[in-house]
Amino acid sequence: MNQASESGDDRRREFESEALPHLDALYGLALRLTGGDEPRSEDLVQDSVLKAWRSWDRFEIGTNCRAWLMTILRNTFINQYRRDSSRPSRVDFDEISEGPGAGTLYDADPEGRIFDRLVNEHVIRAIQELPDEFRVPIVLADVEGLGYQEVADTLGIPIGTVKSRLFRGRKRLQTRLHRFAEEMGYLP
Amino acid sequence: MNDETRGAAGTREAAPEELSCEESLALVYEYLDGELPPDWNDAVRRHVEKCRLCYPYFDFERMFLDYVHEAGEGTERASPELERRIRDLISGETGD
Repeated sequence: MNQASESGDDRRREFESEALPHLDALYGLALRLTGGDEPRSEDLVQDSVLKAWRSWDRFEIGTNCRAWLMTILRNTFINQYRRDSSRPSRVDFDEISEGPGAGTLYDADPEGRIFDRLVNEHVIRAIQELPDEFRVPIVLADVEGLGYQEVADTLGIPIGTVKSRLFRGRKRLQTRLHRFAEEMGYLP
Repeated sequence: MNDETRGAAGTREAAPEELSCEESLALVYEYLDGELPPDWNDAVRRHVEKCRLCYPYFDFERMFLDYVHEAGEGTERASPELERRIRDLISGETGD
């Protein structure tokens, strides 16, 4: 590896050119995970990038830097989240609506036309408004593309809980999108 | 329906030859997420392909998940101040 004497600036330049182009993506993920909390998202990005910098020696150039940074940010968030969320789950059991059925988004728009008409900001708002216990699994699985087992391991919850939170979180998202679509006059 | 019993596939029994609509619908997300064992995956696919009730519903849910995945990426930009702060902190830790 680099000699200590010549390494400082080169290493920093290398890190900056590899890592800093991903700041926007990191910030977007942070916003999604925190539910749109901008100051907290900025802190999360800053902490994560500094962690990455401190372990830059362990990163192999040529591998996926974005994925590496996103993982660091995810884990940083989860560590805070698990520390803060030893509180009991606030899940309420009001809103199970399953599959095709009266009043669901599918019932109102089976061809999914609204997915072409709603703008991305709608889904982002809908995600960010979800309670933590639904939002975090949805962001990890649906936005970041993690599998059930990875989500379960990341959050330290059983895989069955991941499945039911995804199920219920997705139904909540659909209900919210349905309401947006009605407000915009896209659906009767 | 509780966490552990949802979806018969969780039990890891061999998949039956024929699934009902109800059984298929209970597995919609595990199927679309690619999380089912191969025999269950095939059993759901066989049912959905020939079921005029389930087919459009599965199609709808697939569109929904694609939409969330694409739109969820977002287009927000980190502020120039944040980038400057990070650059300063990194320089501060370079030790020179």
